[in-house]
Amino acid sequence: MKQWAWLTILLSVSALAEKPLKLWHAYRGGEERAIELAVKKFTAETGTQVELLSVPYDAFSSKLTSAIPHDAGPDVFIFAHERLRQFHRLKVVATTTTRVDRTKYFPSTVDALEVDGELYGYPLSLKTLALFVNTSLVTNAPTTTDELLAELARTTDATQYRYGLAYAAGDFYLHAPFVFGFGAKLFDESGRATLNTPGMAKSFGFVKSLQDRGFMPKEVSGALVKSLFNEGRAAMVISGPWFTGEIEKSVAYRIVPLPIVSETGLPLTPWLGVEAALVSSRTEQPEQAHALAKYLSLGEATALRVDPGGQIPAEIAAYERPEVQQDPIISAFRDVATRAAPTPNTLEMARVWEPMKLALRGVLQGDVLPDQAGALAERRFRALNRERPADANPLPFVLVALLAVAGLAVWQWRRRGPAQAFAKRYPEASRGLAYVAPAAIGIGVLVVIPFAVGISLAFFHHDAGDYSFVGLANFVDILTSKGYRITEPLSFWFTLAVTVAWTFINVVLHVSIGLFLAILLKDPLLKLRGFYRVVLIIPWAVPNYITALMWKGMFHQQFGAINGLLAAFGIEPVSWFTHFSTSFAANVITNTWLGFPFMMVVSLGALQSIPQDLYEAAEVDGASKWVQFRRITLPLLKPALLPSVILGSVWTFNMFNIIYLVSGGEPGGATDILVSEAYRWAFQRNEQYGFAAAYSVLIFFVLLAWTRITRRLSGPEAA
Amino acid sequence: MKEGAKEPPGVTASSTLRAVSGLRLVGIRKSYGDNPVVKGVDLEVASGEFLVMVGPSGCGKTTLLRVIAGLEQVDSGQVLVDGKDMTSVPPRDRDVGMVFQSYALYPHMTVRENLAFGLELRKLPRADIEARVAEAARMLELAPLLERKPKALSGGQRQRVAMGRVIVRRPQLFLFDEPLSNLDTALRVQMRGELARLHRQLGVTMIYVTHDQVEAMTLATRVAVFNKGILQQLGAPLELYHRPANTFVATFLGSPSMNLFDARRDGATFVGTGFSLSATGDATGDVKLGLRPQDLLVSSDGPFSGEVEAVERLGFDGYAFVKTAAGPLTARFDGTLPVDVGQNVKVKPSGDVLHVFSPDGAKAHHHPEARR
Repeated sequence: MKQWAWLTILLSVSALAEKPLKLWHAYRGGEERAIELAVKKFTAETGTQVELLSVPYDAFSSKLTSAIPHDAGPDVFIFAHERLRQFHRLKVVATTTTRVDRTKYFPSTVDALEVDGELYGYPLSLKTLALFVNTSLVTNAPTTTDELLAELARTTDATQYRYGLAYAAGDFYLHAPFVFGFGAKLFDESGRATLNTPGMAKSFGFVKSLQDRGFMPKEVSGALVKSLFNEGRAAMVISGPWFTGEIEKSVAYRIVPLPIVSETGLPLTPWLGVEAALVSSRTEQPEQAHALAKYLSLGEATALRVDPGGQIPAEIAAYERPEVQQDPIISAFRDVATRAAPTPNTLEMARVWEPMKLALRGVLQGDVLPDQAGALAERRFRALNRERPADANPLPFVLVALLAVAGLAVWQWRRRGPAQAFAKRYPEASRGLAYVAPAAIGIGVLVVIPFAVGISLAFFHHDAGDYSFVGLANFVDILTSKGYRITEPLSFWFTLAVTVAWTFINVVLHVSIGLFLAILLKDPLLKLRGFYRVVLIIPWAVPNYITALMWKGMFHQQFGAINGLLAAFGIEPVSWFTHFSTSFAANVITNTWLGFPFMMVVSLGALQSIPQDLYEAAEVDGASKWVQFRRITLPLLKPALLPSVILGSVWTFNMFNIIYLVSGGEPGGATDILVSEAYRWAFQRNEQYGFAAAYSVLIFFVLLAWTRITRRLSGPEAA
Repeated sequence: MKEGAKEPPGVTASSTLRAVSGLRLVGIRKSYGDNPVVKGVDLEVASGEFLVMVGPSGCGKTTLLRVIAGLEQVDSGQVLVDGKDMTSVPPRDRDVGMVFQSYALYPHMTVRENLAFGLELRKLPRADIEARVAEAARMLELAPLLERKPKALSGGQRQRVAMGRVIVRRPQLFLFDEPLSNLDTALRVQMRGELARLHRQLGVTMIYVTHDQVEAMTLATRVAVFNKGILQQLGAPLELYHRPANTFVATFLGSPSMNLFDARRDGATFVGTGFSLSATGDATGDVKLGLRPQDLLVSSDGPFSGEVEAVERLGFDGYAFVKTAAGPLTARFDGTLPVDVGQNVKVKPSGDVLHVFSPDGAKAHHHPEARR
């Protein structure tokens, strides 16, 4: 009792003391060090304790939106402004309209933080795109596109793999400056997306011509840009402040604003991203929280943001500081930032990415003409942004569910036969239940509840935090492929066909290659057998996303090892991800590389359990090697191999990583399988959770049917 | 056949051949790595013969059988069937059938499918296959089991299926690799009888490997005794029993084993440690004497004496294990006698029973007149 009393006193004392403020961010390296130092200074000056938490960027947004409403989130967090409207709608951010002194920051950075006339957060730093020029290759940085084209023609030598320009051209974020430079707008006055415009077509045409004339390499990734620039193979690069950290010290370069489009006289206007310190709407200490957020955006904290943070501050006064004025990179970016336009923080903006990416890739890969790409993007935009289905009355569905549960219970009860009192049949039921309870609770929490939630979710439509019951509308839309033709990659049936083909081809290859190797490895007289076995299992031991990324690199059109190998045999380089067949093949090759070791290990174990004298008996009986394989090996492998084949087929059916990382659905989502399609609906297309859940339910039924079929195939013994 | 017994060990008893056709092994050698298993064996088997190859574990008998089947490649030597060289012919083209020690039944096939497998591979017409399977099933009383899988059969039933699998194919040569070693004693006796009956019924050549001397004695028309990869002696079972070519054969056949004593010829007697016996044959100098326990009797007097260390009573008679000055000795005694452990007894041979070998045991000098 005494201890309890002490504990209570201790707890109440600590509750009286001020709780430390919680600050969440997604910084790494120098940026993280800068925030740590700033927070230390803040605590020294105000006495307010601050608890820092670094959250991985991928999970940051969803963590915030789920933790804050449950009072488990931070008091202050740092995030880019693009998500602001979503945070605003989910009511996780506190307004700062009356607290922010607008004159202290660049106007555009404050504008970016505005939602419906209210201001949220304190601007910290900005990110935008600039032209990085290798000064040893280009003396006069181009200020217009005509000058740019002249420089590109001068510096490009495709036969030597030297390019005038390199940037991730397939990324819409990097294409946006061209869209604005050619006078196109993404949204009309009412905020609706207008993707099919002449300016848009011109922007596509311009970039396509850069690629066609060999001024820049194809299929460019960030890693490739880095190595080309560092090796002096790319004279100019379009990138952001983060790129400065990737440039080697030996490379002399300048940062200049993107050029002006000669045809329109408009500058190539990049997007401006503003990082802000946002205050949680649920903070218990609003005054301290606002004080912290404000502190981070001004004065000493800004100086730290520059060094060691390496960020471009949003505070105007920061640029008066001598150390900032001496920093050519940061002052260069200030000039660039004045020409940039804040990325719209609207929901419409979030929906533009995928259609634009589709159109952009289509143009760059030569599948779509530049003046038709806008129409393609707009069509895809409409398909992805489904109209909200009409609300349905949930009552009949609840009734059906209840009836089904009741029916199932009655059927179970009837099947048991004449009822006997439960207590009589199981006199020690309570003890038995106690034993079963931990497992039952575990399965309930980990399997049953998520499963039930997932299924129920399929009957809802989700739009920015609002769920509405729509009955079977999601299923109907999916199964009738509403909004697009059945032969289009977006269609469920098209994707199902791709998935089935994907699964079938993979499993056949895995089993035949695995079995073949197992038969080779089985021979006990084989020298270095253990070595071969280890080598052949390695693909399985390497995490599959690493393998996927390695293969992705090897399939690169210009720099990949596979095309290099083909070139050695005089075969034209293949652009793997521009055609369905080659893109699909690339996925299959990668997944076969990953998948055969499992089948090999299973087959090897099963083969070794077949007694050698069966083969001798068969040989004496008159069986050739092939007959032995067909009549002895295969039937005896079946019991071990069939479950692995079923398992392998289910794995492959849902093999998200390979599809997502290798082909990424290219071209145009054609190589997406059901599970990656469901992922895109949930996380890349406006968070249509209900629609994605309906996809998952359909995947579940497909796999359920498949396991029923295979069970029948495996014969009466297995049933 | 007297000459055969006088052949030195390891050499073909070619003069004992009853027919020229059949199987002939010439100078077969086989080693696994550095370990020689068969060290030059010559052997002829006449058609219709039941040859039992017997010897302790590791003597090379199973390897030799597998060489005959074609499952093992020889290092040197030849396998001739009816004069044709079959040394490198694969098993499926040799017209042999083999019953494996483990039976090697195909576990995923029914008894019927197991029996029919070899026939299907030889593309026999369906009707013929069915007739042959039915015939074998009748012969082996497998008819009610035809639709079962091997795992649903008892050991004896599996054994019969393994035999049936060979019978349906009607090969020239039946090979058996210790087929009864996995059965219990009662079943083994029964199966032994059935094997003998089958051999009579089918009239084919059978080669049978075992380490069980009882199987060798009861089944064989001829027995080949192997030790350390060398053929020790080849002959009819009783000939080997009564006229063993060396001490290995002498001690390997017969139960309990033959007693062996070192001795020296001294005029008309063999003198050993603590005993002397009247000499037979014409061997001189040092010899090794062999006496079967059945020919020695515990009695009130005799050349051997010593303390009884153990007693095995079998009813009508029994065996006493006696510690003598010359070494341990096993002797028979009348079941009515009160022989017991610790007792001092005397042992005497019952008549002309002495086998005389060279001192290293490799050569036989003299055998008692057989009771044939």
